[in-house]
Amino acid sequence: MMLLFEIKKVLSKPLNKAALLILAAVLTIGSLLTIRDVHYIDADGNSSTGISAARHLQKEKNQYEGYLTEKVLKQVIQENAALNSSAGAQSDDIQEKNKTAAKGQGFADIREMINLAFGELDNYDYCRIDSVSEDEAGSLYKQRIAGLKNYLNRDDVKDAFPPDEKEWLISKYESLDTPLYYAYADGWKALMDSQYLPTLLMITVLIIGFLVSGIFSDEFAWKADSIFFSAKLGRGKAILSKMGAGFVITTVLYWSAVLLFGFIVLAVLGFGGGDCAVQTGVSNWNSIYNITYFQDYLISTFGGYIGSLFIATLAMLVSAKTHSTVFAITIPFILTCIPPFVGRLEAFARIMNLFPDQLLSINKNLEDFSLYHIGGNIFGGVSVIIPLYLILFCLVFPVLFVVYRRTQVK
Amino acid sequence: MELKMIKLTKQFGDFTAVDHMNLTMTNGVYGLLGVNGAGKTTLMRMICTLLQPTTGKITCNGKDIYKMGADYRKFLGYLPQDFGFYPEFTVRDYLLYIAALKGIRPAVAKKRAKELIAKVGLSKAANKKMKKLSGGMKRRAGIAQAMLNDPKILVLDEPTAGLDPNERIRFRNLISELSEDRLVLLSTHIVSDVEYIANEIWLMNDGRLLHQGTADELIHSMTEGVWKCYAKKSDVPALMKRYKISNIKSEPQGVELRIISGEKPFPDAVREEATLEDVFLYYFGEKAGADDAVI
Ligand SMILES: Nc1ncnc2c1ncn2[C@@H]1O[C@H](COP(=O)(O)OP(=O)(O)OP(=O)(O)O)[C@@H](O)[C@H]1O
Ligand SMILES: [Mg+2]
Repeated sequence: MMLLFEIKKVLSKPLNKAALLILAAVLTIGSLLTIRDVHYIDADGNSSTGISAARHLQKEKNQYEGYLTEKVLKQVIQENAALNSSAGAQSDDIQEKNKTAAKGQGFADIREMINLAFGELDNYDYCRIDSVSEDEAGSLYKQRIAGLKNYLNRDDVKDAFPPDEKEWLISKYESLDTPLYYAYADGWKALMDSQYLPTLLMITVLIIGFLVSGIFSDEFAWKADSIFFSAKLGRGKAILSKMGAGFVITTVLYWSAVLLFGFIVLAVLGFGGGDCAVQTGVSNWNSIYNITYFQDYLISTFGGYIGSLFIATLAMLVSAKTHSTVFAITIPFILTCIPPFVGRLEAFARIMNLFPDQLLSINKNLEDFSLYHIGGNIFGGVSVIIPLYLILFCLVFPVLFVVYRRTQVK
Repeated sequence: MELKMIKLTKQFGDFTAVDHMNLTMTNGVYGLLGVNGAGKTTLMRMICTLLQPTTGKITCNGKDIYKMGADYRKFLGYLPQDFGFYPEFTVRDYLLYIAALKGIRPAVAKKRAKELIAKVGLSKAANKKMKKLSGGMKRRAGIAQAMLNDPKILVLDEPTAGLDPNERIRFRNLISELSEDRLVLLSTHIVSDVEYIANEIWLMNDGRLLHQGTADELIHSMTEGVWKCYAKKSDVPALMKRYKISNIKSEPQGVELRIISGEKPFPDAVREEATLEDVFLYYFGEKAGADDAVI
C-alpha cells in the first residue's frame, strides 16, 4: 500500500513524467539507429536497410551456416579471390564496385575472421585475406592463438603482463570451442557490438537516477517531513517502502528499456544466430570470454542492471543524507559521464576499469585484457566487476534505511 | 496519558532554544503562548520525536518516548506550523497515504478518511489535488491527517496562523470539539485562540516557561492594573516609553489608551478588567508593545 503511494509520488511529478517521455524517445531513436546499421546490397548495387533487407541478408549469409571448417574457409578464400579478380572489383565505377560487394555479402563475416586471424592482433588489415593461401585456411584457429602469443611477446607489450597472466590469456584462447559455428547473427551483432546499447543503458540509468533522486529528499522539499517522521511507521516500514519504490522503479524501468530495445532490434533484424560464439563477430574476435551472443546479452544486461541498482542506490543515499534532490541527481552523471574522460589518462585507466560505468558497457569490454588477481586466481574484468558491484549494492542498500531513520527535523 | 518533560533542553550550537523545561501534561488542552522565537516549535518537535533533545528527556506514562519509538508515535497526531503536502496527491489519496504511514489498515483508513473529510468540511474538495487547495483548506487537511489515528496526544503548532477571522473561529471550535478525551498541546501567539479553549495556558519565553495556569489564574497573577484613559496624540510616544500600552485607538478628540501600570497613570484613568491579552503584554513586555507601536 505505502509502496504504491511512494511510486505514485515519483511518477506524478511533472518533471519525472517528462523524463519518462525522453526515455521512450531515446529508446525509439536508439532502436531505429541500431536497425539502420544492417545494410543489404542488392544485385544492382543499391543499399537498403529494414526488415526485408535483413531477410535478404540473412538468406545470403545463411548459405554459409554451419561449422567453419577448413573446407568452408577454403571456399571463402577462393570466392574472395574470384571476386577480387572480377571486372567489377577493378572498375572505378562505384555502382559496379557495389555490385561486386553484393556478391561477397554472404561470406563477409567469414572474410573478416580470416583477416583478423592472420593479421596482427592490434593491427587490423582489411586485405589480409588476399594473401592467405588456401593451404593455410585450416590453421585459422591456431593462427588466433599464435597471434596472441606474438602479441604478448612483442617488445612493447612484453612487460605489460606477468607470465601467469600471459598463460591465463592463452589458456582462454585455447579453450575456445572450435571450429566455430557460423550463422547469420546480424541482429545480435547490431544489438551487442555497437555503442547503442551502452548509450541506451547510460541514458536509462541517468533517467532512473533522475526519478529516484527525489524519493528521500522530496519529503523535505515538500515540507512533508514533519508529518512523515512523526507518524507511527515514519522511522520504520515507511522507509522500507521508499527503498522498495527505488528498487521497483529501477528494476521496471531498466528491464523495460533493455528488453524492449532487444526485442525491437531482433524482431526487425532477426533472432537467429544467438547461439553463435561472440568471436564470430568482428568486434569480439579477440575476446577472452568464450560465450555466445545470447549469453553476451544476458551478461551485459545483467551487469547493466547491477550497475543501475548501484548507481540508483548511491543517488538515493545522497538524497537521504543531504536532503537535496539536485545533489542526488548529479551522482549518476558523475558516475557515468566523468570516468570515460578520466580513464583516458594512463595513470587512472586501470582503476577506471572497475568504475560502475563499466557495467553499462560490458558488451564493449569483451576484448579487454585487464586482469585481476583475487585469492591466487586470475579473473577477467567482466567477471570481477559484476560480483563486485552486486556485493557493494547489497552493502550500501541497507545503509539507506539507517541514514534516513536518523533524520532530525530541524 | 501522562506526558512529562524532565529538564528538557535543546541547543542549536551555543544557542539554547529550549532551556531546562520541567512540565507534566495529562488529558486536556494546553495552550502554549509565546512570542516569535520563544521555542514553541522546537519544544513540539521534541515531543513529536522529530528532534532529539540535547539533554533531559520526555516520558510517556513513565517511559522514554525515544525508546518507545513507534509505540509512542502511534498515540501521536501532529499539525506542524509550516508544512506541505504531496502536490499531485488528491486530498483523499493524501489522507490514505498518511493513514498507511500511521499503520492503519486500508479498510479502516478509508472509513476514517471519509469521516474526517466530512468533519473538516472538505467533502467537496476530496478529489482536488493538494496543490490546488487554499491556505485554509490545507490547514483543514492538516488537521484531518493529524486526527486519522484518533491520537491520544494531539500537537498543534499555530493551527490558526494565516486564517481569516471566520475561519479561525470555525477552526477553534473544531479543535475544541476534537480535544475531548485527549491531551492537546496547542501553540499560538494569538491570545484569543487559547483564551476560551485551553484548560491551562503556558507562557513561554526564551526557551523557558514563565507562568502557567488557567486564564483566570494568569490574569490574577498580574501585580499591575489595566487602565483606560485618553491622551493627546502628540503625547503617545512619551507615554509608550513610560508604560506598557496594550491598545491605542484613535478618536476624533484624541486617542484612547489601554495602559498597564502599577499605579493610576492619570487622574482620570479608569480601572478596567484585565484580559489575557493584557497578561501577554505584561509578561512579554516591550516586545509586544513594540509590535503594537508599528501598527
Ligand atoms: N534548526 C535550527 N537551527 C538553529 N536555530 C534554530 C533552529 N530551529 C530553531 N532555532 C532557533 O530557536 C529559537 C526557537 O525557535 P522556534 O521555532 O522553536 O520558535 P517559535 O516559538 O516556534 O517561534 P514562532 O512563533 O516564530 O514559530 C529561535 O531563535 C530559532 O532561531
Ligand atoms: Mg513556531
